[in-house]
Amino acid sequence: MIAYIIRRLLLLPIILIGVTFLIFCMFSLLSPMERLATYVNDPSTLKNPQAAERIIEKYHLNDPFPLGYIQWVKRIAKFDLGWSQAANQPVWDAICQRFPATLELVIYSIVPVILVGIWLGVISAVHHNDIIDQSIRVTAIVGWSLPTFIFGLLVLFVFYGILGWLPPGRLSTWAQDIVYTGTNFHSYTHLVTIDALLNGNIPIFVDALRHLCAPIITLSYVYWAFLLRIARSSMLDTLRKDYIRTARAKGVDEHTVIHKHAERNALIPVVTIAGMLIIGMLGGVVVAETVFTYPGLGFWAATAAQQLDYGSVIGFALLFALIMVVGNLVVDVSYAFIDPRVRLE
Amino acid sequence: MVNDKKPLLKIEGLKTYFFTENGVVKAVDGVDFEVYKRETLGLVGESGCGKSVTAFSIMRLLDYPGKTIGGKILFKDENLLKKNNEEMRKIRGKEIAMIFQEPMTALNPVLTIGYQISEALMMHFDISKEEAMRRSVKLLKKVSMPIPEQRVNEYPHQLSGGMRQRAMISMAMACDPALLIADEPTTSLDVTIQAQILDLMKSLLQEFNASLIMITHDLSVIAEIADKVAVMYAGKIVEYTDKKTIFHTPLHPYTFGLLTSIPRLDVEMKKLNAISGTVPDPLKFPEGCKFNPRCKFATDKCRKKEPLLIKIEEGHMVRCWHIDKVKKEMRKGFLVGV
Amino acid sequence: MNRTLRKLFSNATSLLGIILLVFFIIIAIFAPVLAPPLSDDPYQIPRMSWDVNPQPPGFPMSDNIKDMYKYIGKEVKYDKAICGTAQGGYDIFYGLIWGTRTAFKIGITTVFSAMLIGLFIGSIAAYFGRWVDEVLMRITDIFLSFPFLVAAMVLTTILGRGLNKVMIALIAFGWMGYARVIRGSILSAKEETYVMAAKALGVRDGKIIWRHLLPNTIFPVLIQASMNIGTMVVTAATLSFLGVGAPLGYADWGQMVSFARNWIVGAPGHAGQYWYSVFYPGIFIILFVLAWNLIGDALRDILDPRLRGEL
Repeated sequence: MIAYIIRRLLLLPIILIGVTFLIFCMFSLLSPMERLATYVNDPSTLKNPQAAERIIEKYHLNDPFPLGYIQWVKRIAKFDLGWSQAANQPVWDAICQRFPATLELVIYSIVPVILVGIWLGVISAVHHNDIIDQSIRVTAIVGWSLPTFIFGLLVLFVFYGILGWLPPGRLSTWAQDIVYTGTNFHSYTHLVTIDALLNGNIPIFVDALRHLCAPIITLSYVYWAFLLRIARSSMLDTLRKDYIRTARAKGVDEHTVIHKHAERNALIPVVTIAGMLIIGMLGGVVVAETVFTYPGLGFWAATAAQQLDYGSVIGFALLFALIMVVGNLVVDVSYAFIDPRVRLE
Repeated sequence: MVNDKKPLLKIEGLKTYFFTENGVVKAVDGVDFEVYKRETLGLVGESGCGKSVTAFSIMRLLDYPGKTIGGKILFKDENLLKKNNEEMRKIRGKEIAMIFQEPMTALNPVLTIGYQISEALMMHFDISKEEAMRRSVKLLKKVSMPIPEQRVNEYPHQLSGGMRQRAMISMAMACDPALLIADEPTTSLDVTIQAQILDLMKSLLQEFNASLIMITHDLSVIAEIADKVAVMYAGKIVEYTDKKTIFHTPLHPYTFGLLTSIPRLDVEMKKLNAISGTVPDPLKFPEGCKFNPRCKFATDKCRKKEPLLIKIEEGHMVRCWHIDKVKKEMRKGFLVGV
Repeated sequence: MNRTLRKLFSNATSLLGIILLVFFIIIAIFAPVLAPPLSDDPYQIPRMSWDVNPQPPGFPMSDNIKDMYKYIGKEVKYDKAICGTAQGGYDIFYGLIWGTRTAFKIGITTVFSAMLIGLFIGSIAAYFGRWVDEVLMRITDIFLSFPFLVAAMVLTTILGRGLNKVMIALIAFGWMGYARVIRGSILSAKEETYVMAAKALGVRDGKIIWRHLLPNTIFPVLIQASMNIGTMVVTAATLSFLGVGAPLGYADWGQMVSFARNWIVGAPGHAGQYWYSVFYPGIFIILFVLAWNLIGDALRDILDPRLRGEL
């Protein structure tokens, strides 16, 4: 297994170089003026040729292609990603400030997705072709066909418009006053729900949860449908395997057959898919945050894209690509732990 | 060998059909046979003739869309088809155990060998995990597995083909079953290993006083291990007798064909006498005798009416209209040298 | 093939998919009849009024706009908004009809182009193997390291607004799945006897790929393509919704939903008063995607040999 992990780790720098290079290529599609704009925090600078020249010099924006790439990577390594007009602060600061909100959303969404998705997928496969399976399948295919933004608007309409239960945003105004400007509230993790509990402030916790629910529902419905399909077909495949018949021939009870013999094997491919799920979710985050004006990375990036704030958009792409690369690495390594055929290689 | 008067397993008129989208496949269509204590029955036939389906019907482990729709499976005088799922589960592995063809796919790749053997024990006896593991090591020793203490912690992919089949056998023998069903246990193995595994099975059967149903397409396996033989064709038994008779005086043209398609060194043969034609499409079995399109004795009668399995003499049953012709043919033909 | 078609039609869910698809095809073909264009660019949605607020179905076209069309000599077929108007007075009905053409244009162009690129890269990687394979597959991995929607959003932003830019972005990050599938199936087909035989006979490489390998690997790709059309259309709609897709007033379902976004909650106490502004475009997107997904799902069940009724 060590050889496998080392091989996988050796691949990491290649992928990282490739990813940054690809982003730099996209960056290079911009006109020199637009590229310059990503490093400028004051629009009047652009009108001043000398000041502009200084910045072009400083950031090596006129260097030929390979050198320009190297300079660019060097700046990234120092977290200098330019200036975000949408947030009116450096891109890196904007990322740091919004990251916890998005993290909180993704963590809370991924748990129901994985548990419900796999659970229903297994049930669906065990009851292959009967009424339970059919209804789960239909729910899943509808969910899979439901674009996140439309489902999000539906959730917003029902739970906010009609019922008034789940408001958009991250916190109510009174809660913002306490959390962001209050003196008695300490932000330990910047995950509001957890901070609220650490501060023993239950009203804030409830308020934060109320705001989180709608984007969580939106994100998870679409993705559990996706995972369910994978889990179901993988489980169906596994239940046809000879070793399942062997287990039954030994007199193993159905519960053990499904949970010990089949599930372990069926979930190995599902782990791989979990990587793809993170990819999908990161895209969904942009939509869910925009629909519910939830102040995370996705909302910021969408706003920046509308305003043609290239610096923020490039920084955002870079960050999400890195998260993906690391996520895939984690998935591949955990794959090795689950499957003895790889582990004992 | 046949000591007890009462058979351990008695199958009467077993019918198992597969209800597929394209039509009903009569995989097993009225099969009768008996297995006595300490006796080995060989179930022979080409692939797709229904021999494996017969085995899975006995175990009641048919896959969708297969269903046993008629007959009786009397095991120790109780009809297995009347048992509910839980009663059946207690019989599987404990009373009737099974060995499969391809040990690589028949063993669970993510569970250790030790777990898979001890699981069989723990399902049927009230013993601790440690005790089950200890017994698993003992069982592996019994099937001559090298370094069993280490093997119990290994996974199937770390073992060779022969070792996997030994593990499979020890799993089947774990609960001391009265009846063992082996579905082509040696087919996927090298020839040298095949012989070892057959020897091992023979000695284990004696030690455990168990009966065996050996399913195979390979007559040399029958010659090695069987006491009685049932030849199956297209879901039906066409000839049923003891081993000696099947090799010396077979009476069904199909059996005859199977025997002559084995290359022999002791008789000079002009060409390998393979049976002409192919196994019929299970959806469109021919009218009359199912073997008639491939049979050189076939007449109009064969094409119209299916013969019954009739007793020719004590312990020899054949399903054919033209036994006399076959006898004549045999006398002048293939068995001259025997 | 006949059997496949028969099965597609006999299965209830895939039949529903086919009916939906036929419905959309008819709308797309007869768009000029159903909703005659009122300007030179038929994809530009005409406005029924200059109101900011959406207006309910049956809302009449304002007189000055009517006069304007009379002046430029365009015949107004409907002087009422059949499905209401969206924010800014855009006629929802017109947007739905011409949006169908937009959806087909996006779906088919992007999937077809992505498929060709994937086919090209995948078959070359699999056929030549070794370092060619290694390099091409690492490039595929790199493209796969971006969440699809994020990548499409970023590239569209950089290229600039417009439907063509959206399609380029979707193609640029949409080919990898095809490359992988085609590579996988060619790798397994390569070992088959007929390819060995062709090679032994000295058939040229290009010819082997074309004549022997592709026909045998095309089914998995077709299944993927059918499911992929839905994804592409949704992603394009999502980009429009996020405000980086189609230009303002372009007949595009995603943009129409984004028009509705500010109105979906309604005035206090009047939840759902603007339901039509999101309902019609939303249902069109959902049904369009559902149609392709149902067909793709059924195709997969039918063409997957493991799931056929074998003995």
